[in-house]
Amino acid sequence: MNARPAPTAVIADDERLMREQIAAQLREAWPQLVIVGDAANGREAVALVQSLAPDVVFLDIRMPEMDGIAAAKAIGERAHIVFVTAYDQYAIDAFEQGAVDYLLKPAEPERVARTCERLRERLDGKPRAMDALLAELSERLQAGGGASRGYLRWVQASVAGVIRMIPTSEILFFRAEDKYTRVQTKRFEALIRKPIKELVLELDPAEFWQVHRATLVRVDAVEQVSRNLRGNQVVHLRDTDEKLEVSRSFNHLFKQM
Amino acid sequence: MISNELPTPGSEARGHDARAGGAAPSARPMHSIRHGIVVAAWGFFDWLAVVSWTKLVLVAVLAMVVAGILQHPLPALLLILASVIIKIVAGGKRRAELTAAEATRRADLEQLERTVLEARMQALQAQIEPHFLFNTLASIDQLIQTDPPRASKMQRSLIRYLRSAMPQMRDRARPTLGQQIDLCTAFLDIMAVRMEGRLQSAVAVPEGLKSAAFPSMMLLTLVENAIKHGLEPKAEGGRIDIGAEIVDGQLAVHVHDTGVGFAPMGEGGVGLANVRERLRALYGDRAELVIDLPPTGGTRATITVPYEVSAGRATVQ
Repeated sequence: MNARPAPTAVIADDERLMREQIAAQLREAWPQLVIVGDAANGREAVALVQSLAPDVVFLDIRMPEMDGIAAAKAIGERAHIVFVTAYDQYAIDAFEQGAVDYLLKPAEPERVARTCERLRERLDGKPRAMDALLAELSERLQAGGGASRGYLRWVQASVAGVIRMIPTSEILFFRAEDKYTRVQTKRFEALIRKPIKELVLELDPAEFWQVHRATLVRVDAVEQVSRNLRGNQVVHLRDTDEKLEVSRSFNHLFKQM
Repeated sequence: MISNELPTPGSEARGHDARAGGAAPSARPMHSIRHGIVVAAWGFFDWLAVVSWTKLVLVAVLAMVVAGILQHPLPALLLILASVIIKIVAGGKRRAELTAAEATRRADLEQLERTVLEARMQALQAQIEPHFLFNTLASIDQLIQTDPPRASKMQRSLIRYLRSAMPQMRDRARPTLGQQIDLCTAFLDIMAVRMEGRLQSAVAVPEGLKSAAFPSMMLLTLVENAIKHGLEPKAEGGRIDIGAEIVDGQLAVHVHDTGVGFAPMGEGGVGLANVRERLRALYGDRAELVIDLPPTGGTRATITVPYEVSAGRATVQ
């Protein structure tokens, strides 16, 4: 007599055991709910929501290709979203504050039952928009995951025929030499193709100072600054005998010292 | 931070020589003789400042005797007189300077010790990721329902992992490469159940190297990194190979993954910076962490440490 078709759901988690666990718990708590699709990453989840138009989507937060937060952004108001996580404290706090549905892995049956209860009540309404919350969360997920803060942290260079990733924290200075840029560390030197004028823009300005058109030095490797016979400032660095000339336009860096 | 390390041009030579105390860093030959004299003079001055009066008197008497034998007592007498005056006039100041330098050196040492401690604390905090623990427990929970023998196997792997990763456990004895490999194998066994076909791994470490000393938890950090930054972001996953060899008398242990490679803009894992910091604290310049991109693809992280068989008396960590 009820005209409404059976509610449907998609489950997204990169681990099959976890998808099976949630499916099993949902069968217990909400027998009418039909699991119409399984996704192993965020991109698949978005595609399934597009093609199957489920009522509910369960999204793990940490997934390859596209994480759960990004997937939720892409899904928008096309489905009711329930986040699933093993441990993401800041996300959990945000969900609590924003009254967003979430489950903790492994989920307690009572908790699953309560979530299903809430979903049943909301099913006839429109899924809620949570753009602001998601924007904030994806920013924090990036920061928490140690992802890009915008500055160059590694330099790819060829050392003795091997391509090495050199952390910028190990680099004493960069210096333009012919077509290449020389990278000097305490232990070795290497050549890279990236010119100084690009490095200036990509490196953390608090970490490296440009002292010359052709030279970038690591600030905390500077031991002293003296003057050469022509009256130019010369930078002496720790862990290398090389002395680097400061061109006049960068003299202000070492003023009043 | 730099300003107080930058002497005025005039004071440069002095600061340099006084500190060098004999080790002449100058490479210019024309200055080397003058430089030697200056160094010797400052060396003598430093000695005067700190030597006890008794010793000075003793040396003076000895010098007078030698001068007497050589029948030239006057220069020696003048030198002794000058020394006494210098010691009275400038000795106190110089002694204070030397004491200050010593205090600075000690402060540097304390700073280093603090860094070691902090690095260690960070290392402790970085381990046993709660995310890993809860996900693994959730997987075991699911397997108990569907495949109890496998659940039990996975739980035993978790116990093995926790036994070696618990702070009290891992700080007790001197860690060996074998123990660290066991820890990584336990971790990889768990991840293989969770990631299924997305993770393959192999360990190729000669039996003879397993008793070598190797710092705790570092290899696990490399393996965790390989999974987190290399394989997990990749939908199809990949494989991890762990190997060890002796290169030029050093023990080189590598973790090679076939993952997505490296994001130069990314922080690249606080874990790696931590490993580097701890290596520096433990071995100074005698150890290193190298990340390279082999032509066969993926990322390879190699830790090189001095090769010491664990029966030795030196304690690592």
